[in-house]
Amino acid sequence: MSAYEYDAVVIGGGVSGIMASLTLASEGFKTALVSRGDPVCCLSTGCIDVFSHSDKPLGGIRALLPDHPYSLVGEKGIVDALCFFLEIMNEAGLPYEGDPGRNRKILTPIGSVKNTCLVPQSMAHADMPPGEYFHVISFQGIKDFFPSYLTSRHRNSTYSVYDAGVPTTLGIAARFDDATFLDAFITWLRGLEIPHDRVALPAVLGTIDPASAMEKISRAVGRKVFEIPTLPPSVPGLRLFRALKRVMQNRGIHLYWGKEVTSVERQGHTIEAVTLATTGRAKRVQGRAFVLATGSFVSGGLFAGRDSVRETVFDLPVAVPGERKDWFNTDFFSAGHSIERAGVRVDRSFRPAGAKIDNLFACGSILAECEIMSFQCGHGLAVATGVAAAKSCAQGLS
Amino acid sequence: MIKTDVVIIGGGATGCGIARDLALRGVHHYLVEKGDFANGATGACHGLLHSGARYAVTDPEAARECIGENAILRRIARKCVETTGGLFVRLPGDSKRYRDTFLTNCEDAGISTEVLSASRALDLVPELNPSIEEAVVVPDCSIDPFRLCMLNAFTSRHKGCGILTHHKVIDIVRERGRCTGVKVLDRFTSQIKEIRAKIIINATGAWGDTLARMGGSDAPMTLSKGSLIISNHRLTNMVINRLRPPSDGDIIVPNEAVCLAGTTSIPVDDPDAIEVDSREVDLVATQAEQMLPRFGTTRLIRAYTGVRPLLKAEASDSRSISRGFRIIDHNNGMFSILGGKLSTYRLMAEKTVDAVIKELGIKARCKTADIPLDGQDELSGYPLSKRLKGIDNIVCECELVDRAQVENAINSLGIQYIGDIQHRTRLGMGPCQGGFCTYRALGIMQETGRLTPEESIEILKEFLQRRFRGIRPALWGDQLREEQLVESIYLGILNMGQQA
Repeated sequence: MSAYEYDAVVIGGGVSGIMASLTLASEGFKTALVSRGDPVCCLSTGCIDVFSHSDKPLGGIRALLPDHPYSLVGEKGIVDALCFFLEIMNEAGLPYEGDPGRNRKILTPIGSVKNTCLVPQSMAHADMPPGEYFHVISFQGIKDFFPSYLTSRHRNSTYSVYDAGVPTTLGIAARFDDATFLDAFITWLRGLEIPHDRVALPAVLGTIDPASAMEKISRAVGRKVFEIPTLPPSVPGLRLFRALKRVMQNRGIHLYWGKEVTSVERQGHTIEAVTLATTGRAKRVQGRAFVLATGSFVSGGLFAGRDSVRETVFDLPVAVPGERKDWFNTDFFSAGHSIERAGVRVDRSFRPAGAKIDNLFACGSILAECEIMSFQCGHGLAVATGVAAAKSCAQGLS
Repeated sequence: MIKTDVVIIGGGATGCGIARDLALRGVHHYLVEKGDFANGATGACHGLLHSGARYAVTDPEAARECIGENAILRRIARKCVETTGGLFVRLPGDSKRYRDTFLTNCEDAGISTEVLSASRALDLVPELNPSIEEAVVVPDCSIDPFRLCMLNAFTSRHKGCGILTHHKVIDIVRERGRCTGVKVLDRFTSQIKEIRAKIIINATGAWGDTLARMGGSDAPMTLSKGSLIISNHRLTNMVINRLRPPSDGDIIVPNEAVCLAGTTSIPVDDPDAIEVDSREVDLVATQAEQMLPRFGTTRLIRAYTGVRPLLKAEASDSRSISRGFRIIDHNNGMFSILGGKLSTYRLMAEKTVDAVIKELGIKARCKTADIPLDGQDELSGYPLSKRLKGIDNIVCECELVDRAQVENAINSLGIQYIGDIQHRTRLGMGPCQGGFCTYRALGIMQETGRLTPEESIEILKEFLQRRFRGIRPALWGDQLREEQLVESIYLGILNMGQQA
């Protein structure tokens, strides 16, 4: 077994784990990040929902119960973390915009309108004044995008269909990475009569840098252009993840990608090392501190048995709301299933409560009481608690 | 107004079987069904073609009927029956004396048996609990109830009789105390149609008493709810039974790529107000796990429940009530067929039609046991090679259903309902249970002009509610992960929770 040594080892490669590792690295700590694979943020809209349940994210957060993880971060902490995120995304070449004080609107593929806080620039123009309409561009045979859903809800809107030669969003996005394809698309678009000031497309404007493609199209046709995030696998989620990963690499964070923690070494109140299964020799990764950011059920940080819930890396105590029969409401559309509250409880320093471990910190959707689906606060919570847990960890290290 | 000789109410196996029997005896008829085929108990059972062994000890008469029908259906319904064979496994603690009686009674009923040692049984079904004492091979089979109904109804359509699915009986027309027709509501157009007939056959299973009462009579029954669970894998290629007196959760049946395990037996009053309880799921899963240990760790993709229409009896334990059937002549132009089970649907149809044609004054012999079901040649089955052809335009990734198949179902079969597409193409039957593909199929339906965009979103909402009801009692492990992902799509990305 080969051994490696770090100040901090972050487990989990989603938004919270990445933000935690970037925070630690920016404070000068030698940091490693272990991830089982690409995170579920690749399946998301790519937007940072801070608290989409109400129009004012910070106002909504103020009304939360004190045991919600946001209360551990505090308002200033949340705003600072979001600003840090905006900086990072600028550095990554995928600039985001937005204001923690007020939510903005994006469109969904069925034409409903959704609140979110920070958006990639390619979605900025989706926030329209009432009464304004748009022209939708769809693609031949595209699987999860039906323009008539948009035009039926936005009555004066119109649509046209372009044949990109592939039916999947990822496939079309890959074509948009190619300048000749983009030029041909623009030529076609210029030939259309576009009756509105805005042009909407499913989010397929390239796999890396949608803002440049958007600018180019916008200049060519003299219209504001925006993207609509589609169903998984979705391009904006993938772009977000890849951009964050690039910054981690630039900042010298050591990545153990596609590696799973198979065992944990604990000495008294301290975690000393974790062992990773690899295709070759098992790796022993030592750290002075550890950050747990493995997410909730979908990501695999929590696993529900028939009657209990387990934390999958350190076997930490998990708060479980009631019996299985009560985990889910009977109505699919009533968010607030009690299972959403399951997770790891932490103290004010983000150390897991009741675990008696001094050098372990937890962040992201693995935290108890976060109710991400009810409040629509997934990535915002990940950013805020990722940064906050890392700061607490940094304090412990120095 | 439509005129015919016989109206059959109910598109389950019995109703469809009666339609085919009448068609082959040359009697014109209409079949009306409020949903799609196999909407009631037919579609909510194990899909087990009994050898009769399960009833050998408790109900020898039913056992003899089963083995007789088993042989007939293997012959006439090849495309619906998978001749898997079945095992009765004896676990440590299960009575050896019961096993001896079982073997004797099977022999008396004419059911072939072969006793296998534990190791030979494990050779046949490697996932069996290795601590079984022994196993008995019987000729149980797996049967596709939906396909069975469809093919039975095919003959009637072919001979110019009417098969009206999604038509609900709202009234029974009576003249001087005699039932002379039905009024049905076309659920798609909301149009009311009247069908006049000489005889009305009530083959509505659990709804039998309701319909009989509409006709001015009654048909007392005991209703018993049976719940089942579906595993994500085909863990056995043979039907697995527990070698003990019939009880809860002791049958596992392989079907296409999955396994069905059940059932429970709980008396109920209203067939329209039933749901699976999470305790039933635990009970069935625990029992199934004893025979196939992997049932405990395999992902369960859904739980469902159906209502058995049992003959009224004094006994309060619904398992001990006979699974036999009875034909009631209400002496008012209506006949009700009550009780019975999927395996004996053809026999039930034969006896019902015998009674009906006597009333009509017609003499014709039953031919359903001799002629194979029509339409089987056209069935393509489920060849992977065919399904991979449209790989670029796959709509349902779990079951490899492509856009052309969905469009074909919509255009050439004239399908109006998403459920009908699912039944005919297997769309949405896999691990995600339609979580991804139903949205797409509905999108395609509204693109073809079958539905408006608004209607298709409404149907999507109804579908998601219904799907959730089926999944909710079995949510743990990987299925819970998948469910939260589906939630994040519809409540998160599409924001359907907030939108009116």
